[in-house]
Amino acid sequence: MKKLYFVMALLIVASMILAACGAPATEAPAAGATEAPVAAATEAPVAEVTLDDCVKEEVFCVGLVTDVGKVNDKSFNQSAWEGVQQSQVDGAADLVQFIETADAKDYAKNIATFGDAGFDVVVTVGFGLGEATLAAGVTYPDVKFIGVDQFQAWQFTEDTADDSANVTGLNFPEDQAGFLVGALAAMMSESHVIGAVCGTDVVPPVWRYGEGYKAGALYADGMNSTTTEVQVVYHSDVGFDKTFTDPEWGAQTAKAMMDNGADAVFGCGGLTGNGAITAAAQAGKYAIGVDADQYLTLPEAAPQMLSSAMKLIVPGVAELVAQAKDGSIAAGNYTGSAGYAPYHDLEGAVSDEVKAAMEEINAGLLDASITPGVAPAKP
Amino acid sequence: MQSEKQSISRGKKILQSILDATLVPFLAIFTAVVIGGVIIKMVGGNPFEAYMGLIEGSLGSKKALSETAIWATPYIFAGLAVALGFKGGLFNIGAEGQLAVGAVFSALIGYALPQWLGYDLPAIVHIPLAVLFGMLMGGLWAGIVGALKAYTGGHEVINTIMMNYIALNTTSFLLNGIMKDPSPTNVIARTPLIAESARIPPIFDGLRVHWGFVLALLIAFLVWWVLNKTTLGFEIRTVGLNPDAAKYAGINVKRTIILTMALSGMLAGLAGSIEVTGLNYRHELGFSIGYGYDAIAIALLGKSHPLGVVLAAFLFAAMRNGATRMQFLTQLPVDLISMLQALILLFVAADAIVRYIYRIKSRGERVVLTRGWGG
Repeated sequence: MKKLYFVMALLIVASMILAACGAPATEAPAAGATEAPVAAATEAPVAEVTLDDCVKEEVFCVGLVTDVGKVNDKSFNQSAWEGVQQSQVDGAADLVQFIETADAKDYAKNIATFGDAGFDVVVTVGFGLGEATLAAGVTYPDVKFIGVDQFQAWQFTEDTADDSANVTGLNFPEDQAGFLVGALAAMMSESHVIGAVCGTDVVPPVWRYGEGYKAGALYADGMNSTTTEVQVVYHSDVGFDKTFTDPEWGAQTAKAMMDNGADAVFGCGGLTGNGAITAAAQAGKYAIGVDADQYLTLPEAAPQMLSSAMKLIVPGVAELVAQAKDGSIAAGNYTGSAGYAPYHDLEGAVSDEVKAAMEEINAGLLDASITPGVAPAKP
Repeated sequence: MQSEKQSISRGKKILQSILDATLVPFLAIFTAVVIGGVIIKMVGGNPFEAYMGLIEGSLGSKKALSETAIWATPYIFAGLAVALGFKGGLFNIGAEGQLAVGAVFSALIGYALPQWLGYDLPAIVHIPLAVLFGMLMGGLWAGIVGALKAYTGGHEVINTIMMNYIALNTTSFLLNGIMKDPSPTNVIARTPLIAESARIPPIFDGLRVHWGFVLALLIAFLVWWVLNKTTLGFEIRTVGLNPDAAKYAGINVKRTIILTMALSGMLAGLAGSIEVTGLNYRHELGFSIGYGYDAIAIALLGKSHPLGVVLAAFLFAAMRNGATRMQFLTQLPVDLISMLQALILLFVAADAIVRYIYRIKSRGERVVLTRGWGG
C-alpha cells in the first residue's frame, strides 16, 4: 500500500511539473529527479571522509556554530571559521563543517547537531553562545568545546558545581592590541596629538583597548624621546543601547579631537568607533580600526586606514583545535594573541624605522618582555 | 454551468470549498519548492539532498519533531493573532511589538515577583500569573490601536507599525537599563533568568518541547470556537465583512473593533509570554525577532482559518527548524529558507500567478474552482 501510494504521489508530482512548466522547462527538474538518488548512493562511499565517519574514534571532526550571522561576515565568525579551516590544512581536523545560527533559540540545537553527529570539537563564536556552550558541555562530555570570546567565569568562583571539564574560552589580550596601535599612532603622528574614541569603559575589553592604547603611546614616546598627548574618550555617558551604536557621536568626538590637533584616531566600540574612524579618514587623518582588519570592513575609510588592533582569532582557534586533538587542551580560559593589521594603502607612508619598531614591540609583547600594565577591568 | 452547479450536493460543496481553500496554498508551496530546487541547483547544491536534510531536520527524529513544535508554538499564537485581526477586518502588523511587550512583562513577573513578595510562589500560581500578565499587556498594547481606530479613525496599519517601534525601543531601553541581567560578566541586553517556579515544564524528559505547545493548539481551537460558535465571533466577522451593515444590524462596531484588536494583541502577547516562560526563561533583545512579520505570512497562507494557521505555522516551523540540518548536510546558506518562504508567500498573495500557471493543462474543470479573480 505504502509503495503504491508513493508511486502515485510521484506520478502526480511529475504530471504537475509537466503541466506547470510546459515542455522545455521540465527537463531540469526531471533530470535532477533521476540523477539524485544515484548520485547520493555513489558519492558517499567514494568521498574520503563523510559526516557519517565522525562517530568513528579515528576520524577527527570539527564543527563551528556562528553567532546570529554568517561565516563570511569579515569579522569574528569568519575569522573563527578560517581558524577551523586552518586546523584542517594543518592536519589536525579530518572534516570541518559549520552551521550558521539564524535565531538565538537555535543555539542549543545547532550545537547539539554536531554533538549528536559525533564531532570531536565544537567551536562556538561569541559571548551570546556562552551559556548554551556550557550546557552542551554537560550534555556531551566527550566533546571539547571552544568558545570564542567567552570568558569562563566559573574558574574564578568558589562554587565547584558549575565547573566545566570540557569548555575552553578563547579570549584575547585587548590591552596588547591597543598597546600596538597606540605605539604606532604615536610614532606616526606629526602633531604629537592622538586620540581614541571608544564605547563604555564599563565593558572590560573596551577599557583594556583604551588603556592599552595610552600605554603603547607612552612606550613609543620612551623609545623615541617624544611627548605625545593621548586623548581617550569613552562613551560612558549613555546607556548600553547607545554606547556602541552611536556613529554620529563617534564622528563628532573624532572631529573635536582633530580640531585639537589630533592626526590619528583609534575607534574602539562597534558603530560608535566606526563613526570616529570614518570621520578621521574623511578628514585625511590616520584611522585605526579594532577587533578585525577593518580595512576590509569599512571601505569608506580604507584609504586612510593605518592599521587595526586585532584579536588573532584564526591562529587562536587553530591552536586550540590542535590541542584538543593531542589531548593537551585545558578547560577554562585560554588567552590568545593580539596583533595589528597590515598597513594596506598606507604601506608607503610608514617608514622602515616605524615598521621595524612595530615588529620589535610585537615580539616584545609576545615573549612578555613588554607588558602594557593595564588592569583587567576599570578599577 | 449554472444548472450543473445547482445540482451539486451539500457534501460536495463543502469538499469543494475545502479544496478551493487549500488548493492555492498547496500549489504555491509546490511551485516555490520547485523553483527553490532549481535555484539550489544553480548555486551548485543538490536540491534533493537539501530537501531531504530539511525533512530530516524537521521531522526525522523525536528531537527534530520537538524542535519543530518549539518553532511552531510562537508561530501559531502570532499567526492566530493576525488571522483574528483579518477576520475582524483589521490588519494587525503590530504582532511583533505586542509579542515583545508580552515577553518583557512575562519575564518581569517571572524574575521579579518573588523578590517583590519576598517569598517563592508555587508554580501553579506563578506560571499562570506570568503568562496572563504578558498576554494582557499585549492585549492592552494592541487595544490602544483599536481605540484609536474606533474613536478617531486612525488607521490600524500605520498605528500598529508605530507602536512596534515604541514597543521595541522601549524594550531595548528596559533590557539595557533597569531590567538588565546584573551578573558581572553579562554584556548582553537581557533580563535575569526567571524563577524556576515560573517555567513551563517540558512535556517529555530530554526534549525541549513544552506544554506551551499544547496550549497553542488548544487556543487555536478556542479561537475557531469563538469565531464560529459565539455571538462575539459573529460580531467580529460581521464587522470585518461590512461595518456599515453590522451597525445597521445593531452591533456595537466601536466596541467590536477595540475588542478584536485587544484579542489579537493578547494572542500575540501570548506568543512572547510562552517563549519566555516555556523556552528561553528570560527575554533578550535578539529573541523573537521577526516572528510578528512571519505571522502575517502564516495568517495569509492559512487563509485566516485557525486550522490553516496551525498548518501554516507548522510548515514555517519545519522549514526554519530543518534549515539547520540542511546546512549541516549540504553547507548551503540558510537564507535559502527565507527565499523559499518568500516565494510561497508571493504565490499565495498573488494567487493569480498560481491559478494562471496551473490552469493551462489542468485535468478537466475541477481544478478551476473559481473563475479567476474578481471574475
